[in-house]
Amino acid sequence: MSFDETFDVVVIGAGHAGCEAASASARLGAETGLITLNLDLVGQMSCNPAIGGIAKGHLVREIDALGGIMGRVIDRTGIQFRLLNRSRGPAVQSPRAQADRMRYRAEMRRTLEATSNLHLRQGKVVDFVLDHGRLAGVILEDGRRFGADAVVVATGTFLNGLIHTGRRTYSGGRAGEPASIELSETLKRLGFPVGRLKTGTPPRLDGRTIDWSAFEPQRGDETPVPFSFSTDRIEQKQIQCYIGYTTQEVHDAIRGNLAESPLYSGKIKGIGPRYCPSIEDKVVKFSDKSRHQLFLEPEGHDTNEVYLNGFSTSLPAEMQQDLVRMIPGLEEARVIRPGYAIEYDFVDPRELGPDLQTARLPGLFHAGQINGTTGYEEAACQGLLAGINAALYTQRRDSLRLRREESYIGVLVEDLIKQGVDEPYRIFTSRAEYRLALRYDNADERLERYGRELGLVGDSDWDRFNSRQARLAKLRLALETVRLRRSDAQHAAVSALIGNDLGDSISLEQLAKRPKVTAELIMSLLPAELKPVAETDLNSVLADSLYAGYLDTQKAAIAKLYQHDALKIPRHTAFRGIAGLSNEIVERLDRAQPLTFGEARRLPGLTPGALSTLLAHLCAGQRAIS
Amino acid sequence: MTTIVALSTPRGRGALAVIRLSGPDAIAIARHMSGVTDVEPRRATLTTLRRPKDESELDHVLLTCFNAPHSLTGEDVVEISCHGSPAIVRSIIDTTLELGAVLAGPGEFTLRALSNGKINLAQAEAIRDLIAAQTEAAVKQASRQLHGELSNALGPFKEKLLEVIVLLESALEFVEEEIPAPRANEIDHALAVVSDGVGSLARSYSAGRLLQEGVRVAVTGRPNVGKSSLFNSLVERERAIVTDIPGTTRDTLTEAIDLEGIPVILTDTAGLRETTDDIETLGIERTRRAMSDADLVLLVLDGSTGVGPGDRELLDQTENAHRLVIMNKSDLPGFKLPASCVEELRPITVSARTGDGLATLRAAILASVNGNGSDEGGLLITNARHYDLLCNTQREIEAAREALRERHTEELVLVPLHNALKFLGQITGETTTEDILSKIFATFCIGK
Repeated sequence: MSFDETFDVVVIGAGHAGCEAASASARLGAETGLITLNLDLVGQMSCNPAIGGIAKGHLVREIDALGGIMGRVIDRTGIQFRLLNRSRGPAVQSPRAQADRMRYRAEMRRTLEATSNLHLRQGKVVDFVLDHGRLAGVILEDGRRFGADAVVVATGTFLNGLIHTGRRTYSGGRAGEPASIELSETLKRLGFPVGRLKTGTPPRLDGRTIDWSAFEPQRGDETPVPFSFSTDRIEQKQIQCYIGYTTQEVHDAIRGNLAESPLYSGKIKGIGPRYCPSIEDKVVKFSDKSRHQLFLEPEGHDTNEVYLNGFSTSLPAEMQQDLVRMIPGLEEARVIRPGYAIEYDFVDPRELGPDLQTARLPGLFHAGQINGTTGYEEAACQGLLAGINAALYTQRRDSLRLRREESYIGVLVEDLIKQGVDEPYRIFTSRAEYRLALRYDNADERLERYGRELGLVGDSDWDRFNSRQARLAKLRLALETVRLRRSDAQHAAVSALIGNDLGDSISLEQLAKRPKVTAELIMSLLPAELKPVAETDLNSVLADSLYAGYLDTQKAAIAKLYQHDALKIPRHTAFRGIAGLSNEIVERLDRAQPLTFGEARRLPGLTPGALSTLLAHLCAGQRAIS
Repeated sequence: MTTIVALSTPRGRGALAVIRLSGPDAIAIARHMSGVTDVEPRRATLTTLRRPKDESELDHVLLTCFNAPHSLTGEDVVEISCHGSPAIVRSIIDTTLELGAVLAGPGEFTLRALSNGKINLAQAEAIRDLIAAQTEAAVKQASRQLHGELSNALGPFKEKLLEVIVLLESALEFVEEEIPAPRANEIDHALAVVSDGVGSLARSYSAGRLLQEGVRVAVTGRPNVGKSSLFNSLVERERAIVTDIPGTTRDTLTEAIDLEGIPVILTDTAGLRETTDDIETLGIERTRRAMSDADLVLLVLDGSTGVGPGDRELLDQTENAHRLVIMNKSDLPGFKLPASCVEELRPITVSARTGDGLATLRAAILASVNGNGSDEGGLLITNARHYDLLCNTQREIEAAREALRERHTEELVLVPLHNALKFLGQITGETTTEDILSKIFATFCIGK
């Protein structure tokens, strides 16, 4: 086979999934080609200019712990940071940041260009090269052929994208950019089940035409909490966002024009995300609400563009201008870019294994919206996993698989490959059964070792990780051993503060669990030789202690449920040779190639009877070995 | 690893029943109940089982121990061969539960055998069929219940619990939305309703068991008050010998009758009095045992002679028992029922001879059994697994209320609430995360 260029791994699409995939693959030593339709739009945020949020912030922290890049890039380009859920427990707190959209793109491109083995190429992939049925490379629209042993498809909304504004529709991957239609045909030809989803985006306004005084400012945190464990401080100048509301007049106008909305005229067939409803949906489904909240989010330091968050719409562009002007404070506002809805293709993620590789075509990996997810963070974490596993695949190394007990990434991947999707999938903390264990602040403890073992976590990050773990261990010991005694000077004052006598002696760990006892108080009681103690370190240790009891019972429950999960299934096990498994079950097992009993257990369609037969087979095999 | 227990022979009456225990505490539990300290493995030992809590005798049984790994499951296993009465089986299993065993889930013995490598590959297919069959039966049972009374009764509580979960989850997940903050007192109130309802259903278990396994009713009283006549009237034939001679009934007599579909095991007893007659003394001994075993005592008084000192003594003795006081012989001219007596004892007036008042008595027996039932339209829990699940549900909900009172944050309050939902789901069908999310999006307008 002749190729214009030969790579180990080709990544199609340079959005949030593709960038992570290419960066990870290249840093694992695989020669990696990252092919995108427009090199100027690498790492583009198609929708809101923000990263993080509840559970999404957790994902970014996990990406960072594994050695991914999203956390570092947003830390360098974020213009408003907030830690959400501060009033609640540490497990459900999560960082969020507004991004400077253009600077994010530039920083992402700079990061990729600084990576060895990573080669950016502009072009449009239309087909795969197959060598006797094996994946061998990709073919571009302009005729170039690139060789690759593994391909990561991260095409986002570009896969057969169709844009709607009012009754107008046109093919496109994003406003003003072409769709990727041929690749969708290729996937269908290979037999992949392809479905249709929908998403939408609001209009962008000219900031100079907004009456800012009519809105309530929303400030960022005094001390920003960064996404990356490696970030010491946020350098970007910080801005404010603004909160406003729609009115009954706006709602009435929308209701009167629903026939113009492709959502309600039946033109859009794809299913949209419920947690990101269009303003049309909000007005129809919650007709009793007299107003809906809006956020005005400045898009960056170098532009006047403002993102009208909460006003996603596919109504005709000219109507959007009129609707916007009915909003108090936006009477003079001018729409720079209208909002729109977009339908796109996705491939049933049940085609994938836990390494995000398709069973149908070995070497082919899917990441991001092609798997039916929504969100930059969801895309990025899949990109990271797919990029890592694509490189490992070409290097004949064991794949990286993450368990749902240890990470939100594991939760997301397992949900996708086991349950499939019928609407765009977004991460929530409630999707994680073990959410008390999956905190944003302990993502390093949970995952950094994997990143290091793979070779994605460099020496300085690894040193930082180890010294933090050492500090935490020391602090943990101090909280257990340092006691507040009746003879201590602060004893009476602390008793008075919590309105209850503390007894003759209490460890700081126990004291911290009492109501009204704050981290600041515990900090003040720590012995001087330990200080200075970083607030984040103390918070992590206190969170461990707060949840320890709950986690122990939960761990016992997990152990009981999954006691056989670690049993290994030897590679190339002939499932057909196991007496008592039906043809359908054998096919499922052959397709998924589970490596442990736990993976087999999570496969869809495996009956309790089939699992016990498999378990008996594995037990018998183990005994034969021992 | 827990120690599990289950009846291994079919439910219902039979000559023998075999109860099986498996797990690390199996042998210790057997020792505790039998008092036999050195049980020789794999050898049947005749012994008496007792309930350690009150030293009450349960049954004479054959006990066989199998030490790990030489047993069915590969763990320590104890097999108890007892007499095949549901009441005996019930009390033995209850006692093992008191000593730390838990009820085995469907197929759990087989699964333990599998995981300990006690079963070879050739047997895999047979086991698969077995487990599949059990699952199928479980599915059938679940679907019956899904359309049945219990699910209907639990439906509103599950719905309320789900509403609370939705409120708290929404507050956590969508901090930037305009979602009203959950009010602790409203949530506590909703949880109290769920806890009371589930608890009330759980409490109906004792009555429910009676309905399934038979209500034991003992007819007692002084000699010659007409116990045997009443017994005959209730069983609707001349089963007991009736004479005017006090002390005619020497032994207890038992007959099963059907009261509107509820099995009642009716026992006629010897009249209670001081006596020197050896045979009568033995009979009286049996009477006392029948009384203590009974779920309901019918204390018969003679309305034509008034309440005498012997009656008083019996009234005092049965004061704390579940009892009905019956004033017999209403057909006799000397029958008197002073107002003070009505006030104090609320007796049921009958004439065993004419049959007068028997309908009222039957209704009263039924009512006193059903009276133990729940407030949920007379629904009773009859299945030990359901009882367990309801108790666990209630415990988790109370834990959540406690967490609320201590002002724990939502994610901590939600831990026991999700557990409660899982326990309820074992009866009514699972609630998935998707179900919860769907309800959130149906309740609140969410999304920027």
